[in-house]
Amino acid sequence: MVWWTIAIYIIISLFIAFLSRSGKQTNMVSYFLGDRKLGGFVSALSYSATTYSAFMLVGLAGLTYKGGVGAFGFEIIYFMGVSLVAFFGPRFWLVGKKYGYVTPSEMLGDRYNNKKVAMVVSIFSCLFLIPYSAVQLAGVGYLLQGMTNNAIPFTTGVVIATVLAIVFSYIAGIRSVAWTDSLQALFMIISSTIVVILIINGLGGVGSFFETLETNQPQSLTVPGNGFFSFFTFLGLTIPWFFFSLSNPQVSQRLFMPASMKSLRTMLMGFLIFGFVYTLVSVIWGFSAAAMFPDLANPDLATPKILSSDLVPPILAAIVMVGIMAAAISTIDSILLTLSSLFARDVYGYMKKNSSDKDQLLVGKIVIPIIAILAYLFAQMNVNLIAVLSVASSAGLLVTVPAIIGAFFWKRGTAAGVITSVIVSGVMVIILEFAKLKPLGLASGIWGIVISAILYIAVSLITKAPEKKADEFLSYLKTELKRSKIV
Amino acid sequence: MKSTELKWALLILVIVLLGYILPYTLFTNIAAWYGSFLLWTILAIAIIGINYLITRKWGE
Repeated sequence: MVWWTIAIYIIISLFIAFLSRSGKQTNMVSYFLGDRKLGGFVSALSYSATTYSAFMLVGLAGLTYKGGVGAFGFEIIYFMGVSLVAFFGPRFWLVGKKYGYVTPSEMLGDRYNNKKVAMVVSIFSCLFLIPYSAVQLAGVGYLLQGMTNNAIPFTTGVVIATVLAIVFSYIAGIRSVAWTDSLQALFMIISSTIVVILIINGLGGVGSFFETLETNQPQSLTVPGNGFFSFFTFLGLTIPWFFFSLSNPQVSQRLFMPASMKSLRTMLMGFLIFGFVYTLVSVIWGFSAAAMFPDLANPDLATPKILSSDLVPPILAAIVMVGIMAAAISTIDSILLTLSSLFARDVYGYMKKNSSDKDQLLVGKIVIPIIAILAYLFAQMNVNLIAVLSVASSAGLLVTVPAIIGAFFWKRGTAAGVITSVIVSGVMVIILEFAKLKPLGLASGIWGIVISAILYIAVSLITKAPEKKADEFLSYLKTELKRSKIV
Repeated sequence: MKSTELKWALLILVIVLLGYILPYTLFTNIAAWYGSFLLWTILAIAIIGINYLITRKWGE
């Protein structure tokens, strides 16, 4: 049955991906940004699908199982962070359109008047996002293996996910990615909500569900609870995710794509509603596992256990399982596409001066499978707790946040400031992660953003700001934001 | 950042801080659904409302 469900999923997705092809994808803006013409509804669903990966129903549910309600708080803090889009969204969108930016790092390079900035930020994005994709791929592997009692081995699951991610990116660039994402998101939210309703009913309704938890595992309803979510752990997990919507190029690039401000708004509001429901569903899912199977050795098995329980009809279980696989793929294909656009535009475009748009597109298309295979190799190195590794990559990307905020709100920011802050604090995060060090009890991401902010400001103050560019960039924004009544 | 935007930003900041502080202080011993679980749910709904208001005039 699992194989059948996977087959049906692949056929429907390929069909949607082919349908999404409109016009010719012969330039960068068309292939990577959908000509900046995405509608609000698709933008919202695709943004949700890209953000919410396999992590939710595997990692977050597992985290809830292990640490209790703190996992909910963690995800809600992230959710609150998406409010940054309400401030940065219109700014990204306006300058993207005006100056023709394809990537967020290209925007930084132009704003700080130094293409090296774009290249450095891009390279760091790849450095951190390839492991992030790997975590997603590994998630697929575990899930299929756990659900089918090893009938689909880890490697087979990972291979399926890698191949599909490449195919969905290839068919029509961002268009096929956005449409298959949307399909996946809709599918996922509906099927997982049904499962949660069935389980809660099976356990005797909402009231008795919470009563069970209150009697059997009272510590799961508080923080620090059983001690897993100590305040410092919570802080270390949440800070990188709070800034996710700015620090991660696969989502910040989305701010360039909506067809209008109205679509941008639909994207934000649609995401918030989707995210709120999905977060609740995932957390209740984890709580259900805690109520039903209190003694699992590995919390990542919480979801497979739920799906194979008697309360969930096998067909629904198969659908959700394939849905989780699709969720991982919808995150990975967006990351693949974004990373290849970063590489083509900002790394190749820097190394080979005067490269044409067409050359860059070709390079981007060549890089897609290369990045996918790298992620595949990472996924083969077995990882244990999915959530923790996934956070490690977002901790690394956090070091670009001061430069992004500064681009819009601080005239004195300089290229030297950006480059120093990103390289030094980025390398520091990597060292902390590898050595598993937490100086003063604080996680790598917190050190990353603090050191990065200090370096960005200090180095900017002793170097010369690109006054002309900064003035032009910021005064354009000021006029346009006023005109659209945003400020 | 202009004053209306700044006001919204500060309000969001307050909500986020509540989301960090209250569960680890006031609610740390309330082991029930109406403890941290409800608090975070309410704060999330408040955030949705605020974003709705901030973006109300976009694209008009």
